[in-house]
Amino acid sequence: MAEIDVQKQEAQEMEGTERTRTGLVFVPSVDIYESGDDVVLLADMPGIDENAIDIMLEKNILTIRGFAGEGGREGYGLAYSEYDTGDYERTFALSDEVDRNKIEATMKNGVLKLILPRAEEARTRRIEVTAG
Amino acid sequence: MRVSDIVPWRQRELSGEDDERSTQSLREEMNRLFQDFYRAFELTAGEGGAMGTFNPSVNVSEGEDGYEATIELPGMDEEDIELILGRNSLTIRGEKREDREDEGKSFYRRERSYGYFERTIPLPTEGIDRDNVTATFDRGVLTVTLPRREQEATERRQIEVQMS
Repeated sequence: MAEIDVQKQEAQEMEGTERTRTGLVFVPSVDIYESGDDVVLLADMPGIDENAIDIMLEKNILTIRGFAGEGGREGYGLAYSEYDTGDYERTFALSDEVDRNKIEATMKNGVLKLILPRAEEARTRRIEVTAG
Repeated sequence: MRVSDIVPWRQRELSGEDDERSTQSLREEMNRLFQDFYRAFELTAGEGGAMGTFNPSVNVSEGEDGYEATIELPGMDEEDIELILGRNSLTIRGEKREDREDEGKSFYRRERSYGYFERTIPLPTEGIDRDNVTATFDRGVLTVTLPRREQEATERRQIEVQMS
């Protein structure tokens, strides 16, 4: 498992895609772990409103996006800066089939938490493998 | 630097040598204050947090009526954040704890960092209304508002009259 030191990594533009929004896009740091029959994903997206989150699941490709609102206090200019603000975007390939109707997403203190339950078929298949 | 704008230097308008000297020294003092202020920022950048542990990022913005410091603390609870307003610094510290329920889980990816952090932001000794410093924690971002002291605003208004 690769350690990622960079706190905010700017997203690489994917080949063949054109951004439809201006501004910076960051790759959120994530934790992904197994919890029973669920896969849990935590993504750091500080400053993003819970209503500005977009989650897409297409087959086993999961895409999460967080859109930044207007940043900064009006009439104020940056005097010192360690971080930039912008949108967040990251795509994941899920190894197991996920029951897309049962995905739970919550946002708390700038962290997106996704609970991705495995689809029934995937669970059954898992049990078979364990028994055999 | 903006200090030169708010303290205009007009030698001709000064009546005596004493005035000249005091204005000069005030100006120098203010410039030094602000130079130290910004230089100190550079020195403290990235000092908090050991390797691989939580080392949150800080932004400071400046406006007419004060300063605003923001710090990204995703996943922290506000009760785990401690703010200490010193004579010429603001210290933000706390501990980002890992969820108990996460223990013993098999991780596919583990990129988020946890642990103790401490960041110190230098502040100008004068000019901040210490009694009205406020902090809010929203969406994982802590915002500390540091208003300028009224006295300074009054002085600045007087200078504006002189200029016209």
